[in-house]
Amino acid sequence: MDSRVSARSQITTPLLLSARGLVKDYGRSRAVDGVDLDIPERAFTTFLGPSGCGKTTMLRIIAGFERPDAGSIILDGKPLLDVPPERRPVNTVFQSYALFPHLTVFENVAFSLTLRRRSPDPGPRVRRALETVHMADFADRYPHQLSGGQQQRVAVARAIIAEPHLLLLDEPLSALDRKMRSHLQIELKDLQRRLGIAFVCVTHDQEEAFALSDLIVVMNRGRIVQRDDPATLYARPANAFVADFIGSATLISGEVIGLAEGATSASLRTSLGILEAPCVEGLSVGQTAIFVLRPDHVQVVEPSLWNNQPSFKATVRHIVFKGDHYLIEAEAEGILLVFEDKLLLNPGDAVMLQINQPSCFITRVDT
Amino acid sequence: MNPVLSRATLAVPVALLLIIGCVLPLALLLVFSFFTVDMDAFVMVPDFSGGNWLQMATKPIFGLLIGKAVLYGSVTAVLTACLGYPVALAIASLSRNAKSLAGVVLLTPLYTGEIVRIYAWRVLLGSEGLVNALLKGIGLIDEPLKFLLFTPFTTYLVLVYNTLPFMVLPIWISAELVDRRLIEAARDLGARPIEAFFKVTLPLTTPGLAVGLFAVFALAAGDMLTPSMLGGTSGSTPMALIDNLFGTAFDWPLASALALSLLMVLFGCASAMAWLLLRLKGARAVLQRGLQ
Repeated sequence: MDSRVSARSQITTPLLLSARGLVKDYGRSRAVDGVDLDIPERAFTTFLGPSGCGKTTMLRIIAGFERPDAGSIILDGKPLLDVPPERRPVNTVFQSYALFPHLTVFENVAFSLTLRRRSPDPGPRVRRALETVHMADFADRYPHQLSGGQQQRVAVARAIIAEPHLLLLDEPLSALDRKMRSHLQIELKDLQRRLGIAFVCVTHDQEEAFALSDLIVVMNRGRIVQRDDPATLYARPANAFVADFIGSATLISGEVIGLAEGATSASLRTSLGILEAPCVEGLSVGQTAIFVLRPDHVQVVEPSLWNNQPSFKATVRHIVFKGDHYLIEAEAEGILLVFEDKLLLNPGDAVMLQINQPSCFITRVDT
Repeated sequence: MNPVLSRATLAVPVALLLIIGCVLPLALLLVFSFFTVDMDAFVMVPDFSGGNWLQMATKPIFGLLIGKAVLYGSVTAVLTACLGYPVALAIASLSRNAKSLAGVVLLTPLYTGEIVRIYAWRVLLGSEGLVNALLKGIGLIDEPLKFLLFTPFTTYLVLVYNTLPFMVLPIWISAELVDRRLIEAARDLGARPIEAFFKVTLPLTTPGLAVGLFAVFALAAGDMLTPSMLGGTSGSTPMALIDNLFGTAFDWPLASALALSLLMVLFGCASAMAWLLLRLKGARAVLQRGLQ
């Protein structure tokens, strides 16, 4: 069902880039392993995955710094792979920015305009680009005189001044502290909307991916595991890897004992009893599947408030204070459940827990 | 203690050595240059008339010889830079194993000793030498090429060969320090490979180039053996004259004045060159990082 949802969203926005069968080997290890990918116009797409999953290699292939061993890419309806990086309508914001240390902020931003056959006076355009990122007052500084956040903005200004059709961002915020990061996340998203060009970002930080993206492409071991909008990704992970990587979740494995509603919902026999929830398509009875339990789908219940949802006994193990709530880890039947509650519990307390099963999801084990 | 200051104290032993081994002899040379030789008694006596310095200033031979040293130094430095720069960049782009091999190949000739190399060059370049024999053998020439040995050509060839490692090494290290992503950034922003080279790689390797030019200029301008043993009639150098004055002619005062004049001119030239290069934005940007 989720693939039908994304198929529909592909039709509504025209495609900017489409890659087919990309493969890239580094020596004996395969960094990209048969990737098919469509990137829509005017959207913020994020490649998300653990380090070594091939997301940076994908970015470098699109930028033109790596040549895939197999496959093809079409950008703006034209084959891309034989075009050298300097002639691609693509610009990159590099990880840790790669500003030219011997050039001022102004000269860095003007770099692409001062090359052959470009505008004679880059001044007004450079100033406009610097204003876009709120750096107009820093034109005469050198990169080493700027903070990390300021360098990041200059790198963005330098990359957007040539009006690329696609802006690539390689871990754009990873070098910054937490506060600066959330601030710049909002700015980046806002900038993408104002410019109306496609941004493709690489990150290993799922919070960042959620904050920025219209579309998230989850990668693992050189393959695309799932390509969806953040809400779908969170609610309907395609397999246990995605469920575990996106947000926090307790994964409970069990055997499929029944399917209902045209195989869109399943019941699973687990060590916590029989659990029912909507499920990923393609499950069959007898198969092993994973019940994905998000922290907000578990509640502590007073015996008087028991309803017909099954409940079970658990023992509190750890508590983490989170400001407006506590993150609680409790053990039941050898399974560690993580959930949120406003009540202050203590390690060792026995609690009755209930799962809001219709909001949960049953997905495949890793393939 | 201030960390920069405490790091500076590490240089104290070497600084002492430099003072004892360099500044003191120079001071001694300065004192000697105000002596004169009493040829009857064969002793040096003080002479504050500055006669030696007057000779330096008025006799054209000294100016000519020093000028020649500067010429050898600068031409060799420029030639080595042109030849060594691409080599250094190529080495920097090799794989790690290939790099260590290149380093060994680059430095091995330095272990053979100058005299050995000079005789090897004679064997190679003489009328009956390997090069002429080879060219004759394949029918390119009928008569041996005479310019190969005992000409300025020979001097420059061997000076370039001898000093090449001192040019390649600093540029190689400079090139290693240039972040590969800066070149990718330049390409990404629309620069062709050659433009990326001139706008990024070259400016950021100027410190290595400056060190190389400085070292090669000093080595080539101060070399005596190569010009005198391979340069033929063109092989006279101020160094050889100083050697003669000190050793054979026993005119230490004049030799001192000549040595000091040569030193001042060479040092002035080399410093001016290095100063100009290090003032470039690229060099300033690279050296700035040391302060952070």
